[in-house]
Amino acid sequence: MTDDLLGQSFERLLQEHCTPAHVRDIENGGPADALWTAVEQSGFLDALIPEEKGGAGLALRDVFPLAVLCGRYAVPVPVAETILARAIYVAASQEVPVGPVTNWDQVPFETVDIRRSTGAAIAAALLVGAMERAFEITVAFANDRTQFGRPIGKFQAVQQQISVMAEQTFAAKMAAEMGFASDDWLPDPLLAAVAKARSSEAAVLVSANAHAVHGAIGATEEYDLQLFTRRIHAGRTAFGAESYWNRIIGEAVLASGPEGVLDNIRYKLSA
Amino acid sequence: MLGSLPLVSIPVEDEALRPAVRTFLEQTLGDRPRHVLARSWVGFDGDFSRALAAKGWVGLTFPTDYGGGGRSAFARFVLAEELLNAGAPVYAHWIADRQSGPLILKYGTEAQKNFYIPKICKGEAFFCIGMSEPAAGSDLASVRTRATKTETGWLLNGQKIWTSGAKYSQYMVALVRTSGEPEDRNKGLSQIIIDMSLPGIDVRPIKDMSGDSHFNEVFFDDVELGEDALVGTEGGGWNQVTSELAFERSGPERIYSSILLLDGWLDYLKSQDHVSEASIILIGKFAAHLAVLRAMSLAITDQLTKGESPANEAALVKDLGTEIEQAIPTLIADALAAIPDAVVPDDLMKTLAYVTQMSPTFSLRGGTREILRGIIARGLGLR
Repeated sequence: MTDDLLGQSFERLLQEHCTPAHVRDIENGGPADALWTAVEQSGFLDALIPEEKGGAGLALRDVFPLAVLCGRYAVPVPVAETILARAIYVAASQEVPVGPVTNWDQVPFETVDIRRSTGAAIAAALLVGAMERAFEITVAFANDRTQFGRPIGKFQAVQQQISVMAEQTFAAKMAAEMGFASDDWLPDPLLAAVAKARSSEAAVLVSANAHAVHGAIGATEEYDLQLFTRRIHAGRTAFGAESYWNRIIGEAVLASGPEGVLDNIRYKLSA
Repeated sequence: MLGSLPLVSIPVEDEALRPAVRTFLEQTLGDRPRHVLARSWVGFDGDFSRALAAKGWVGLTFPTDYGGGGRSAFARFVLAEELLNAGAPVYAHWIADRQSGPLILKYGTEAQKNFYIPKICKGEAFFCIGMSEPAAGSDLASVRTRATKTETGWLLNGQKIWTSGAKYSQYMVALVRTSGEPEDRNKGLSQIIIDMSLPGIDVRPIKDMSGDSHFNEVFFDDVELGEDALVGTEGGGWNQVTSELAFERSGPERIYSSILLLDGWLDYLKSQDHVSEASIILIGKFAAHLAVLRAMSLAITDQLTKGESPANEAALVKDLGTEIEQAIPTLIADALAAIPDAVVPDDLMKTLAYVTQMSPTFSLRGGTREILRGIIARGLGLR
């Protein structure tokens, strides 16, 4: 239930400070100060820092809803990344830098692999949030837009496209949730791999179908869909696209002894 | 709108069932070749089903009062997963265990429960499902087979088709018209249990493209049924079938149809000195998809045990599951033939051929992909 309360309060903040108008303004070079200050003052950035060090002492799994919300609201500043990075700075007994963490390569992860898999898990959650919004915008459009005398959502061909979006988004969300299923602040590397591989693969279909259902209006600057589909494509490749992470998983499966795929899933790919 | 499913793990006491099932399967299935095991779902072996029943593993979730195991849906998940993963020939008891038994327990009279459920649990009553007809496929509500009320019960006339296992089943649960006309659609439909040994029933196998004959046509010519043939409410057949199909769409059955092929290919790759990067990526893709589907399927099982009815999620998982089940043979064929001169074990090629030929049916049985996607879209907010 903490999750829900946490998410609800974070969402209220975003509803006020991160509307599509704010996102466009910041993307066009406007100041992000108001948004950043609101997030900073809310205390969410210290969610993963242990209580004795002045944070909320939450685990990675607890902040999954926050990361998805960052994707849902197309948050144009690195909030989810900073939440993670701050925990890493504290764990490494280093001073937490002021402001948004914009250079992931400077965050003191123990290894390059951990740096990448942690980034991948976050990217997966952001991707899922963006896909959820693209899906919702598309359903609303299909119900509103009328052609041939009825809403286009009445046409079976459009229903098929929307179902595929739903399926892919749903699977990606489960995968991202697996990536975040950790009781400390670092994801399990192979679960992060599943999260990023599956959500990156889903991204292509979700974006393509969202635009296909919308027609030309979906590709305009003024319509909100682009805020999300641009992020879907960027998120797909961030920290490695599906081929990179599928290779990591494939290597782990091939390195197993006589175990079949099910046992590999049970032992290595289950949260 | 899209929600999310919480991650769940199998309770320890249910997971504990796995080693015993695995040992039993190793002993029972012996060294049957993979291409035979790959039939799993449509593999009919009465002796196997009775041996499984003797272990208490048929009707595992049914109440102990009727001879069932009284175990949870998670225990059944473990059992079903192991059976499918091993390619056990489960068809004989499968429908009774997953559909007909639960249907009778939910809608049947006390007498029906006492008669059928213990038999199912002993492996003495195998069931088939009579839904499709020549003119009623995806449009199931247009069934024409009719049961007419008589002084002693029902008189049955009509025809069913694509009835898997009808040749070997003692009983069929059929969706038939008990009042009205085909134009009345889903009104006037009922579910009845038919004793397949009765006079007037003619079962004719249909050979499929792989050479198997698990499909059948079933003809009913003045078949006399007792009053107690009706299961549930007269005229309530449509609602009963809809909820049965929602149940049918959950569970591990929709993930593992191509698992024998996938494991066969994995074994082959492990035996090679060099594995191409494309094949490594492909193994990873399959494992990632299946890992996520398994997590989703477990989450749905959890919802069902809590008395919820996640119909949309179940439909969505089924569609995603059949998609990867169908992608497995297609992509493995390409990966193998990427090296045209490779010498591939005969059993692997036969398994590939079988799964390739049967894979179109994965997204037909229990409702076609197109029908399912329509249900999903409407369930998720399309008006």
